[in-house]
Amino acid sequence: MKYSAFILAMAALPAAANTEINGMVEAKCVIQTDTSGVYGNPTADKLSTANTDGGVIPIVRYDVAIADYYLAKITHPTEFSSSPALSDTVTWTGETSVFQTSDAGMSAYDTNKIVYGSTSEFDLTIAGSTWFKTTSTASYGFGKAFPGGNYTAIVVAECIAK
Amino acid sequence: MTPAYPDLKPSHVDGVSKVEMSLFNSRSDVKYYQIEVFDEEWVNIPFSTTYRIMKLDHKERKNFDVYIRNIDIDRAVYLCTTSKISKSKSTRPFVASKICSRLDGPQA
Repeated sequence: MKYSAFILAMAALPAAANTEINGMVEAKCVIQTDTSGVYGNPTADKLSTANTDGGVIPIVRYDVAIADYYLAKITHPTEFSSSPALSDTVTWTGETSVFQTSDAGMSAYDTNKIVYGSTSEFDLTIAGSTWFKTTSTASYGFGKAFPGGNYTAIVVAECIAK
Repeated sequence: MTPAYPDLKPSHVDGVSKVEMSLFNSRSDVKYYQIEVFDEEWVNIPFSTTYRIMKLDHKERKNFDVYIRNIDIDRAVYLCTTSKISKSKSTRPFVASKICSRLDGPQA
């Protein structure tokens, strides 16, 4: 009888086992395209990503896991990666700035950015996500119309370990 | 790409060091990444790896080894992966991404 009671008591005990889940947060940088850019064609000689020109401004998101490990360098286009044959020069302008942040302190990235040529450099001193927007405008010749066809240009987003 | 500051380890070949890296594709619009090694002035350094251009599906992770001659180790500074742009017009992205680890940095 005692033996049977012991067996029943053992069967009633809940089974428990500990399973560990291990993880490690290491310095890393992830770049994602949040919004793909599109050129609008407001006038015959102009292609522009500005919303007011019918374009879409490309937005790139940088995620850094640990603060102060990486520099973000974003370069707006200075040539087309593909286009119809062009017989005249294209004048390029563009700008990169912070669009959205996961931490209020990241708003200082804009004031501290270094611009050289077509590249804007941001020191990613805070862990988290930063969204950067890059405007791009291409003007053709002197009052010349861009030939019909598809135009593509590339924004280069770099994340360089410091 | 991780780690940010990879360790240089001896390889199975005399005079050649090995770097163990891992690449994760977070971009749904890109499937191919090119591996490159540069010096401080962004001049290419010779290296060897299994695939210089790797195919990675979205959210896929791949580990890869990069082999650098010991005579080039002191010059090698940046180990980078660059997204490759597809020729297909329908899927051509507007953004090219490049992520670089430092071979001369502090060990992570």
